[in-house]
Amino acid sequence: MDRVNAPSPAAPLRASFLRLFTVQASWNYDRLLGVGMGVAEEPLLRGLKRDGTDGAAYRAAVARGARFFNAHPYLCGLAVGATARAEYDGAPPDEVERLRTALCGPLGALGDRLVWAGWLPLLSTAAVAAVALGARWWAAAVFLLVYNAGHVALRWWALHAGWAAGTGVASALRHPVLQRPLALVGPAMAFVAGVCLPLAARWLVRPFPLAVAAGSAVVAAVAVVLLRWLPGRVRSLWLGMGAVALGLVGGWLWR
Amino acid sequence: MSAGTLALLVVWGTLVGLDLVSVPQMMIARPLVAGTFAGLLLGDLEAGLRLGIVFELFQFDILPVGAARYPEYGPATIVAVAATHWLGHEDAWGIGVGLGLLVALFAGSTLHVLRTANARAVRRAAAQLESGDVRALARIHAAGLARDVTRAAFVTTTGLAAAWLLWRVGVAGLPSRVFTLSAALGGGAALAAGVAGLLRIVGRGAGLRWFAAGLAGGVVALWIA
Repeated sequence: MDRVNAPSPAAPLRASFLRLFTVQASWNYDRLLGVGMGVAEEPLLRGLKRDGTDGAAYRAAVARGARFFNAHPYLCGLAVGATARAEYDGAPPDEVERLRTALCGPLGALGDRLVWAGWLPLLSTAAVAAVALGARWWAAAVFLLVYNAGHVALRWWALHAGWAAGTGVASALRHPVLQRPLALVGPAMAFVAGVCLPLAARWLVRPFPLAVAAGSAVVAAVAVVLLRWLPGRVRSLWLGMGAVALGLVGGWLWR
Repeated sequence: MSAGTLALLVVWGTLVGLDLVSVPQMMIARPLVAGTFAGLLLGDLEAGLRLGIVFELFQFDILPVGAARYPEYGPATIVAVAATHWLGHEDAWGIGVGLGLLVALFAGSTLHVLRTANARAVRRAAAQLESGDVRALARIHAAGLARDVTRAAFVTTTGLAAAWLLWRVGVAGLPSRVFTLSAALGGGAALAAGVAGLLRIVGRGAGLRWFAAGLAGGVVALWIA
């Protein structure tokens, strides 16, 4: 395909950015995030209608955009921006496909480390610790505000970085905006998680008499051993239901 | 409790259910947020915070990656808060945890049904999608969203109905020790889920050393607080 001048980016980027918040709305086992990616990319592709092929290039690009894709939802913008830019830059269809495929793994792994195993547990363990130390509803409100400041900024940066980089998007993955937080968030999360657990434990058992609190501690210890040493075979949800059931029966029989 | 509050709980549960995957993933689906706001709606912040923390600990054991199947703890927390509030006993949150875990399991299975239905819709429109039909693309996306709204509302309503039923059949009249022991053991299991989940996220090496340092800091904070 010939190179087509990319449109003035502000309005399409805004539309694409807003659509990216729904990127998983049609999540399915066939294309995973693909349909949502196509929906988010479409505003950026409208300039392709002017390429003189009666919209064929636009429709072909929309079809490519909606194919199988999987990555962390907050970083999908990087792929949306990069592939849309590649379409304008005249990249051949198979190169666009390869770009999408190549981005799945890195964006997934990066997002999981940065967000699911970093930013999110860092702030949620901090919120749990704050409530255990006496904070009220505002602990949840502060968690939401701070978390989403990072979340929205990451989505915005990802889309703009992808659009700016096009097929050279690999350089965006090495950008300090991603790498510096990645180096800091893991240790910070581990430290705050450590602080949170003893505080949460005391907060949970505080209302109980000593003997009952001891029973709670025994259940916790046994459950940790089972969850750590039989991962996959023992699930915390079933252990939780078993523990509550044991409490109901034990409380009924207890005289 | 007024019908207005009940309706607000259903709306809140629906938004929380949508937030988990579909839109906008701003983490109102986190149990601490879902539970706290449900507590505020019911005028029982204490129950909201307690169930919020308990289910947040269970949530630490979940990593929502790829096509993994997992329980859904957001609407479950709202149901657990409502059950605890309706039962009216200070330790009723143990029974709330039990019901919430059942709802989480059920809600997780509805996610699988939703994804399968979305896949069927995509397969039906495969030719249109491959021809770059933007209307078909938008229709499939909007239909997926509508399915998730329905799913989340259904899960929340069913869960709240179960909570109401618990209260209606006289669970509130159980001996006090039943509430106390179920709460203590349920809380212990939640703590174990939190420990196991966080240790898995932390991993080994430097992360584990930072975790140990934090643990020491937490114990010091216990002495000071």
